[in-house]
Amino acid sequence: MPSGVIADGRIDAPPIRAAGETLLSLENICKEFPGVKALQGVHFNLRRGEVHAVCGENGAGKSTLMKIISGVYAPTSGRLVYKGQPCSFASPLEAEAVGIAIIHQELNLIPHLSVAENIYLAREPRRGFFVDRKALRANAKACLDRLGVAIDPDRLVRELSVAQCQMVEIAKALSLDAQVLIMDEPTSSLTEQETRLLFKVIHDLRASGVGIVYISHRLDEMAEIVDRVTVLRDGRYIATDDFAATSVDAIVARMVGRSLEEKFPERRARPTTDVILSARGLTRHRVFQDIDFDLYRGEILGFAGLMGAGRTEVARAIFGADTLDAGTVSLEGRVLDIRSPRDAIKAGLAYLSEDRKAQGLAVKMPVDANMTLANMEAVSNRFGVIDFTRHAEVAKEYIDLLSIKTPSPDQPVRLLSGGNQQKIIIGKWLFRQSRVLIFDEPTRGIDVGAKFAIYQIMDELAAKGIGVILISSELPEILGMTDRVAVFHHGRIAGVLETAATSQEEIMHFASGYGRPAGRG
Amino acid sequence: MTMTVTTPPAPARGGLTDRQKDIVQKFAALGSLLVLIVVFSLSSGAFFTVNNGMTIALQVTSIALLGIGATCVIITGGIDLSVGSVLALSGVIAALAVKELGMPVPFAMMFGILTGAFCGLVNGILVTRLRLPPFIATLGMMLIARGVALQITGARAISGLGESFGVLGNGALFRVVTIADDGFPTVVFPGIPYPVILMAVIAVAVSLMLNRSVLGRHIYAVGSNSEAARLSGVDVAGVTRFTYVLSGALAGLTGCVLMSRLVTAQPNEGVMYELDAIASAVIGGTSLIGGVGTISGTFIGSFVIGILRNGLNMNGVSAFTQQIIIGLVILLTVWIDQLRNRK
Repeated sequence: MPSGVIADGRIDAPPIRAAGETLLSLENICKEFPGVKALQGVHFNLRRGEVHAVCGENGAGKSTLMKIISGVYAPTSGRLVYKGQPCSFASPLEAEAVGIAIIHQELNLIPHLSVAENIYLAREPRRGFFVDRKALRANAKACLDRLGVAIDPDRLVRELSVAQCQMVEIAKALSLDAQVLIMDEPTSSLTEQETRLLFKVIHDLRASGVGIVYISHRLDEMAEIVDRVTVLRDGRYIATDDFAATSVDAIVARMVGRSLEEKFPERRARPTTDVILSARGLTRHRVFQDIDFDLYRGEILGFAGLMGAGRTEVARAIFGADTLDAGTVSLEGRVLDIRSPRDAIKAGLAYLSEDRKAQGLAVKMPVDANMTLANMEAVSNRFGVIDFTRHAEVAKEYIDLLSIKTPSPDQPVRLLSGGNQQKIIIGKWLFRQSRVLIFDEPTRGIDVGAKFAIYQIMDELAAKGIGVILISSELPEILGMTDRVAVFHHGRIAGVLETAATSQEEIMHFASGYGRPAGRG
Repeated sequence: MTMTVTTPPAPARGGLTDRQKDIVQKFAALGSLLVLIVVFSLSSGAFFTVNNGMTIALQVTSIALLGIGATCVIITGGIDLSVGSVLALSGVIAALAVKELGMPVPFAMMFGILTGAFCGLVNGILVTRLRLPPFIATLGMMLIARGVALQITGARAISGLGESFGVLGNGALFRVVTIADDGFPTVVFPGIPYPVILMAVIAVAVSLMLNRSVLGRHIYAVGSNSEAARLSGVDVAGVTRFTYVLSGALAGLTGCVLMSRLVTAQPNEGVMYELDAIASAVIGGTSLIGGVGTISGTFIGSFVIGILRNGLNMNGVSAFTQQIIIGLVILLTVWIDQLRNRK
C-alpha cells in the first residue's frame, strides 16, 4: 500500500494526547471544475476526539470537501494540514494510509464475501501464497469487539442489515487505524434502535481520540453527538460554532441564507368526511397483517413507524407492485382488482417511491420524457404516435406549475438536484390526474428549501380533493404535515391517532409496540 | 457533485452537454466512415463506383437488418445472440416450404419470417417469464435454432428452388438495361436492389417507432430504469418481449434475403452474424448497459463494418487481417464511447 505523500518530512506517530488538539485543518480551500466553482475559501478544522458536523443544502459543497479530505480530489488552491504537516494526497489510498477513512452513504462492501474478508480486502493476512484464515478471522473479530457489536466475522455481508454493514465499514476503518473518520449520512437508512447503537459507537470512538466528520440532513439527531458544526452554502464557508452554543433554527437559517420562520407551511387543506380510499384486512404473509384504514378526500394521512414495520410494503401492495395475499382496497366505494402497477395507475393511484433513482425516474431520459411516462396516451394519437407539440406543452406546464429548475426540458434528470427530481415525479402523477398519491419518504436527501416546496405541493394537492398518504420516518414531518397518523408496528397498524392531539412521544410509544390496544379510526 | 437548486445545472465536466456529446459521437462515427471512403477510393479505382456502391449496400443489408433488431434489444438492456442461427433456420424453413410443401414463394418467405418471430418470442418469454439472463436465453436459442436447421436439412444445402425464390435477393428497382444493336444487353444503371430498399424502409420505420411512438419511449424507459418504468405503468415484460420478437423477425427476413440471393438455402449460413449486428450497434453508440442507442448510429456502424470489409478486400487484404482490423475498430469505438461517458 502506498504511503501518504507528506511535504516537509514524515509523520511521527505521536502519543494520543488530550482531546482538543487539532488533528486536521483545511485553510482557504478552493476547488474548481470547468465552469463550476464547487468550493471557494472554505475553512475547516477537526480536533482529536470531537464530532464535527458539516451542514449545508445539496450542492453546498459538502461532498466535494469530503472528497478533498479523503484524497479523491486535489484542491485547486488552499492548504491541507494533517497533524501539523501540510499534505497532499494523490489518491484515497494515500489518505487511508495516514489514517483518514471515509464511510460512504452507499456502502462499499462486497456482498458475496464474508465480514472478515471485507474488512481485510486487499490486505489479507497471508501465509505464503495463501490467506491466513485464522488470523483473518481473529483480527476481524478484534475489530468488531472493539466496537462492541456482535457480528459473526464469517457471515456473508449480503445477509447483514444496512446497520450491520455500516458497523463492518467502521470496523474496517478502525483496522486501518483511522484517526479521522468521515461519515456521510450514516443514519439515513437506520431504524431508531440502530441509530442508538451507532451513536454509542461514535461516542466510544470519540472517547478514544478519533476525530469524526459527520455529514447529515437530520439536524434533530445532531444534538446528541455533535460537538461543533460548520455550515457551507453555495460552496462558501459560512460559520463554525459549538453545537451547544447554537440552535437547529440558527443552523437552518445559515444553510438556506434566510431565516426560515417555519419548516412546514400552514396547512390550508381541510379533510372532508368523504372516504376516497379504503383498505380492509390487507395481508401479505410474514410482511403485514390485517391492515385496515380509511383515507378521506382532502386529507393527508401519515404512515409512521420504525423501518421494517411494513409501511412501504403496504403502500407497494396497494399499488400492485407486490401481491396481496388477502384483503380489499376500494377507491370511492368501488372495490379495485389490482394486479400490477398498471391497474393501480388506471384506477387513479400513484406511488412515489422512497428510492427516486432506483424506482422513480428513468435517469438517463430527459425531464419531459419522465414527466409524461405514466400518461403517454394523453400525448399520443390512437396509433401510439407521440404528438410532440402537445408533449412540449405538457412538460412546460408542469415545469412552471411546480417551479422545476432545469435549463431545458431536454435535460437528463440525473443532472438535476434531488428536490427537482422529486418534483418531476410529482408532475408525472399530477399529469396522470391521480386521485390518491402515496408519498414514500418524499423529502429524504432533499435540502431544506426544496422540502418546504414539496410540503406546499402536498397541501395544495389535498386542498384539491386528492387523498394523500405520507410515509415518513421523520416524526416532525408527520406532526407538521398530516391530519391523522397510522402508526405501524411489526406489520400491523398499532393505532390511528389525530395528529393535532398527539406527540412524538406517543407515536414512538405506539411504534415500539407499547401502545394501548389499537383504537382504529 | 450534486447541483444546487438555485443555480441551473451547469454542463457536465468538459464543458459539453450530453446532447452536444451525442452529436460529437455521431459525427465522429460519420467522419470515420467518410475517411474510410476517401482512403479506399484513393487506394482502389474500382471502389468509388455505382456498381461497387450497390455491392456494398447489398452486403451491408444483412448486418444492418440484424443490427436494427439488436439495437432495440440492447436499448432495453438485453442482448440477442441467436440471430445468426435464427436466420439460418428461417431461410431453411422458407426453402422447405417451397420445395416440400409447394407453397408460393411470398407465403413461404412470410412463413420463414414468422419462424424467426417465433424464435424471438421464445427468447422473450425465457427472459421475461423464466427470468433467464438474456445472454443465456439467447445462447440457448442460438444452439437450438442452428441444431434444428441442420437436423431438418440433414446438414445439406437445399437447391433447385426455382427462379422466383431468387427475386427478393437479386432483383432491383429502376434497373435500366438497353439492348444494343448487336442484340447484347448493356446495363446503364444496375438499379436499387430490393434488399437495399427493404433495409432503408425498415430502418426508417424502426427509427420512427423508437423516436416518435409511445412504444419507442417505453423501450428507452425500460432500458433506462425498468423498475421505475414498471411503477409508472409501463408493461415492461411486454415491451421487452416485443424487442426480441422484432429482432427474431428481422433475423427471419435477413435469412430469406440471404438464401434468396444464393437461390439456395444453407443451414450453415449466418454463423457469427450476431456479433456483426452487435458490433454495428455498439459502433453506432448503443450502450450495452441499456437506455441509449439510435438506429441512425447503428446504420452508420453497419456501413463502417461493410465498407471496411469491401475496401480491404479490394486492396487485397487477407480475411485474417480483416478480422484483426475490424476487432481493433470495435475496441477503439467502444473505448471512445467510454471516454464520452466517463464522469
